[in-house]
Amino acid sequence: MSVLSLVDVIRVLGLTKHVKTLEGSLTILSDISFSVKYGESVAIVGASGSGKSTLLSLLAGLDVASQGEVYLDGEALSTLDEEARAQVRAEKIGFVFQSFMLVQSLTALENVMLPAELAGDRDAKAQAIELLDKVGLSHRLEHYPSQLSGGEQQRVAIARAFIGSPKILFADEPSANLDSKNGHLIERLLFDLNQQNGTTLVLVTHDEQLAKRCQRIIHIEGGQLEKISEGLAANVG
Amino acid sequence: MWVKLAFKLFSRELRRGELTIIFAAVALAVLTVFSLSSITERISLNIAQKSSDFIAADRLLSSNHAFDPQLLSQANQYGLETAKMLHFDSMLFANDEFVLGSVKAATEAYPLRGSVIIKDSLTSQNYEVYTGPKKGSVWLSEGLFYALNISVGDNVELGAGIFYVSKVLVKEPDAPFFSLSGNKRVLLNYADIPTTQAVQAGSRVFHRLLFAGTEQQLTDYYLWLKPQLKSNQNWQGIKDRQSPLSRNLDRADSFLLLAGLFGIMLAAVAMAVSAKRYCERQYDPVAMMKTLGGSRKVIRNIFLLHLSLVTVSSIIVGLTVGYVLQYIGSGYLAEFIGTQLPPAGARPWLLASFIGMTCALMFSLKPLLDLFDIPPLRVLRRNLGDTLAISRLHIAFSLLTIFVLMWIFSGEIITTLILFASTLLVIAILFCISRLFFAAGRRLGLSPGSSWSLAIATLQKRANANAVQLISFSLAIKLMLFLVVLKIDIIADWQMQVPADAPNMFIINIAEDEVAPIKQFFIDNNIHHEAFYPVFRGRVDAVNGEEFSRRLSKQEGEERDEDVKKGVRREPNLTWLDSLPKGNEITEGQWFSGGDDIEVSVFEGWQDSLDLKLGDTLTLLVNEQTFNVKVTSFRSVDWASLKPNFVMILSPNMAGKVPVTYFSAAQLKDSHTQAISQLLKRYPTVSMFDIKAQIEQAQVIIAQVSLAIGFVLVIVLLSGALVLVSQVQASLAERMQEVVILRTLGAKGRLIKLATLYEFLLLGGIAGFVAAVVSDVALLIIQQQLFDVSGRMHPYIWLLGPISGAFFVATIGYFMVASTMRKNTQSLLRKLT
Repeated sequence: MSVLSLVDVIRVLGLTKHVKTLEGSLTILSDISFSVKYGESVAIVGASGSGKSTLLSLLAGLDVASQGEVYLDGEALSTLDEEARAQVRAEKIGFVFQSFMLVQSLTALENVMLPAELAGDRDAKAQAIELLDKVGLSHRLEHYPSQLSGGEQQRVAIARAFIGSPKILFADEPSANLDSKNGHLIERLLFDLNQQNGTTLVLVTHDEQLAKRCQRIIHIEGGQLEKISEGLAANVG
Repeated sequence: MWVKLAFKLFSRELRRGELTIIFAAVALAVLTVFSLSSITERISLNIAQKSSDFIAADRLLSSNHAFDPQLLSQANQYGLETAKMLHFDSMLFANDEFVLGSVKAATEAYPLRGSVIIKDSLTSQNYEVYTGPKKGSVWLSEGLFYALNISVGDNVELGAGIFYVSKVLVKEPDAPFFSLSGNKRVLLNYADIPTTQAVQAGSRVFHRLLFAGTEQQLTDYYLWLKPQLKSNQNWQGIKDRQSPLSRNLDRADSFLLLAGLFGIMLAAVAMAVSAKRYCERQYDPVAMMKTLGGSRKVIRNIFLLHLSLVTVSSIIVGLTVGYVLQYIGSGYLAEFIGTQLPPAGARPWLLASFIGMTCALMFSLKPLLDLFDIPPLRVLRRNLGDTLAISRLHIAFSLLTIFVLMWIFSGEIITTLILFASTLLVIAILFCISRLFFAAGRRLGLSPGSSWSLAIATLQKRANANAVQLISFSLAIKLMLFLVVLKIDIIADWQMQVPADAPNMFIINIAEDEVAPIKQFFIDNNIHHEAFYPVFRGRVDAVNGEEFSRRLSKQEGEERDEDVKKGVRREPNLTWLDSLPKGNEITEGQWFSGGDDIEVSVFEGWQDSLDLKLGDTLTLLVNEQTFNVKVTSFRSVDWASLKPNFVMILSPNMAGKVPVTYFSAAQLKDSHTQAISQLLKRYPTVSMFDIKAQIEQAQVIIAQVSLAIGFVLVIVLLSGALVLVSQVQASLAERMQEVVILRTLGAKGRLIKLATLYEFLLLGGIAGFVAAVVSDVALLIIQQQLFDVSGRMHPYIWLLGPISGAFFVATIGYFMVASTMRKNTQSLLRKLT
């Protein structure tokens, strides 16, 4: 275990999220606090509608909390505006989504290069090719998303998530849209690359088996933190 | 780095379609504006030039009395070119033959505009010169050579002088429209007038001063001249000259303007739809880019670059294609007219570029601004930001832009307002109708599982979207029907005035005993001719016993039509006829009853201006005889037609009461020249005047306008197709999803294809029907208000509208979605994810 891993990369304090509805204010998340250390893998589990995706959006700075604070690599997200949060994401965060979220008009290679290009990185191409090779898609570089299978599209998304060597990787139900064979392949890739790159992995899933592959599991129920349990990988690393 | 990414995204988006529609719409608007404004500008410059040619100057001053020499010296001081002319009739003598000729004496500078066409001998080729004969020489028209039995190189006596006949005079630019001896013209040097001694005090002569220069110089000079103009001096410009075509030209201008506006309006609709759709499709990529850390600035730069690239490239393409089109068009016209059209200035280029830029910017700005506001959270909450798509502001923005564009292009706020407001009203009505229509369709109760019921269900399901589509299609079809009908009506109207076999020569001053032999002569020589009208001059002396001059002076205080007053004071040509001439319509009363009283049918313009009523008795003064005639009808007269028209037509029982000459018109071909010379030699008192130039000009203008209308029609069709394509493309993803669902549920390909075809057929048919109804009503108004044509219903468009609508919409729509239906379910599913 490295020295860094003793430090929190994510600290969540009293995080609460209300949304306005026609019937009045609805609390989606209520007073959630926890922390994640560098290099750690954490699963957020809960039933549908429990608030786990909202929690992920707040952790990644995609949305802002009603109360409480998220410290990402020491920076309080509530003090940052949209532009500054985008900058934080560009520098420190990678994403994998359930619906892949590839840009349809870009090839596999270009999709992987996209975050680096947005950040102005000129060496993006070599790095992207290397990552696509790692996910087993070196023969699909010039294919468009519509020409790839679901599993292949998610592998492109994983390669994209790791470009620029992010400190944290957020994955939202990464294998939910895939068959079990492809799903397992994606999960294995995710954990392998995570370990190789020393990235912190925050995984949102309702799949208990997948959650158990992480070091810790945060259970959300009805918008509240129910418990934090240890996964099978708790003592690994 | 973002530049490279922007170009990459741009090149990919180009292939996907929406950008292509925006591109095509901007390019279409640019080329419409460019080609229309440059062609109309070139045509109007040409017409102005031609009209100047018709008076051989830019302005002229005419009088029966000599002018103060100061008028000319002052004009020269203003920098104007000037020339002097004098018209008089004089006898010519040669080889023991006497002939009365119409002499035009002009200074060296004549003609200031246009050219004189002459030839070296009767049999040689025509050519143009830009001056008149030298001192001591005369140019004679062909008729005089035959009448005097002379040839070029002989001498002729003109008045007291002897002149050398150096050329055959074929045509002068300002050959008078009505000359009593149209074929016996003499062009003389102004300096030779004293030699002829033909002009004495009291001689019947017409003086003219010609002026040419810039508009500013002419205006300045006129400001100086105006206070000292005498009542017998008449200042004439091109526009004052009553050309039978001027009204047609105004109509053509209005038509092109209207059509151009329609083209732009449709292109704008296509652009607004595509721009919105394009931006909507970018919501996910933008949300993704923001999630991946893309800053707002980078994203803004990327899409603004896209917009700039589309704008610049479409403007360049629009200008290039527009230039080529107007080059081809004007080349064709130039060949037809036989002269080059003057080049248009910078205005079309600037106007088209400006309109292209405005279109691109205004229709894309709001959707683009919305795009920059897409929250990154959309990557997790898929429908976040969708509400931005329905923006009232965008609609308001687009409408305002369309209005401003129409205004800029037309330069006429009233026309623009009428068109714009009526279109808005039509949209509102259409929206209500279509909602009701789709709602009513639910009760049709067709058996489930048939293609028709599927088609109707699809139409109902997208009632809102379909209402919008229906409005767009209806507008497009409406505009097309408009153009087709106006084209048919206007052109038919004009061609009726100048049919292919229109007479090109008027023959006047035929004595009663000459009518029969001349008729026989025409038959023998196979010359097509019109009826022989008896003509006599007469003046209205009194109305219901009240002296007419007193009646007029009573009205001096009121505003009366000056032309009519002049017309009443002079002695107009009168005739008697059995039946109503073509092109005239009775507006009030009845055609002659055949009773004992002499009846008169009066031009309706005189009815209002002179307070005439049916049953009034007019006292006509003809050669010292007076006749009391009863007004039994009023007629409309088409003065624009190149046919004999009369202010007053008397009943046939007038025959034999007054001495008359006869008047006819014939269509002469080049092969008839010799025969006509014989005719003129045999009947020296008969005169002919040539209206070939007027007929040719009319035909040229009809050709120009037909071409322009055809061109505009193509543009409107293209714009309509673009609207359709943009609409169908916007619904393509949804359709794909439906096809997938239907296929998955086991629907056969044929069912889906037929359902799609029926859906478009229905949509097009309904749109076409609504368009036909709206068009016909609007056409009635527009024809009367804008084109001054009597409005009529057009039953054929009630059929043409739905059929063409169904065909047009079904063809384009079906082919656009056909590729979707050919794909297998799996690949469609993949495209949807």
